[in-house]
Amino acid sequence: MTASAVTEALESGELPGRVWIYSNYHCNLACSYCLTESSPRSERRELTAEQMLTIAIEAKALGFTGIGVTGGEPMLLPWLPETVAAMADHLPVILLTNGTLLGGDRFERAAPFAHRNVALQISLDSHLPDINDMARGPDNFDKVVAIVPRLIVSGIRVRIATTAGPLDSPTLDPLRELVRSLGVRDEDHIVRPIVRRGRADERDLGVHAIARDIPSELTIAADGAFWGSFGPTVRAGRLDTDLLLTRTILPLSIPASALLATVRGLPEGADASLGIR
Amino acid sequence: MSRTQLLDADQAPITTQQYFADGDPGPIVAALATVPELLGPTLNFVGAALGPGSVSLRAKELAILRTSVLQGCRYCVHAHTAVALDVGLSTDEIRALRGDIALEDAFSELAERALIGWIDALAGATGPIPDDAWVAAREHWPEHALVELTVTVGATMFLNRLATGLDLPTSDEVASRLSVASLA
Repeated sequence: MTASAVTEALESGELPGRVWIYSNYHCNLACSYCLTESSPRSERRELTAEQMLTIAIEAKALGFTGIGVTGGEPMLLPWLPETVAAMADHLPVILLTNGTLLGGDRFERAAPFAHRNVALQISLDSHLPDINDMARGPDNFDKVVAIVPRLIVSGIRVRIATTAGPLDSPTLDPLRELVRSLGVRDEDHIVRPIVRRGRADERDLGVHAIARDIPSELTIAADGAFWGSFGPTVRAGRLDTDLLLTRTILPLSIPASALLATVRGLPEGADASLGIR
Repeated sequence: MSRTQLLDADQAPITTQQYFADGDPGPIVAALATVPELLGPTLNFVGAALGPGSVSLRAKELAILRTSVLQGCRYCVHAHTAVALDVGLSTDEIRALRGDIALEDAFSELAERALIGWIDALAGATGPIPDDAWVAAREHWPEHALVELTVTVGATMFLNRLATGLDLPTSDEVASRLSVASLA
């Protein structure tokens, strides 16, 4: 596979346009369904700011159309806001954050995202504080509902991600109302299943997913490049390698070519089927 | 135990799963799979260098086993003692290649003794190689065969250091065979 083959595959839709980046693995929370067993005690496994910016530049050159940044909690990295803003000069960026590190005086750390091609995707799992906080930690609900309107008023696009059991649960209706009341558009409220990998697997949560269930989005972490954003999961402290593509992450054409070769090796039509985003 | 994780089929990276489809692929594959982009190219090269070619499998295994002995690779000596038995080397020939008995007592053909001389010059020392070992081997082997066998020796030295560096374990199956043949 060559870089031009990757570009053609992106243009034709054979490869999804988004590159996911795991900026780090550590987190100030320790959610019950976390795919990466992230917590304050997790090994950090950080990418550098230079690597992240290079990924964005090379992704655009290859023909990718967007970047997603996740973790861990990316906002734990002091240089993250400015780096994401610089990445957004090249491609639109969705930054997944739990939103709890932007309260009070720390709100100014979000300033680089205002009126830029950056959307913050913040998790909120229930309209009931106790239910939400059971999975995501004490006071998470209050922090999220407080920060989202402030972000929106400041000119920052916010998406809400809900990780749920049954996607058709009636309990989602009041949550959708709550999200609307925070100023988030319906199209920016993403509801997705728990994927049974990482800590979720250990706790018997979520849906089983094999490669063909997971969108073949190129995903870059300090440990290597993976098939899909659910690839670099961790269980019992050990990285899952079943969706590992390459240990090489840059130049990006190397893992992108490996992804394309793997996509072409799977049965025709093998791609997303669980609505996982 | 190995110094590195040996992946099983459940943890085999998506790009390497074909190597695990028929069961345990052995420790070299299981170790290299942790860097999946190296696995395919490495196996292609090693397969071409150590597998069937223009010279006989007997000559190749002679080269592989002798090189592994000279390099002190426990894993490769064990594994290729078993392969050498498979391709027809005698127990005495294997013992001679392993240094347990004199080469002259096991190898009567001058061509094979000259080949062993070339292998010893390549794998048993560092630095420049004197002409005499090459000249002696060329009296019995065409140039292309010596080039091929030189690649075999070089590839074996790579595997020797890989297996020794990662401390790859001898499989139970190989250990059992060597025990039965009194070649453990």
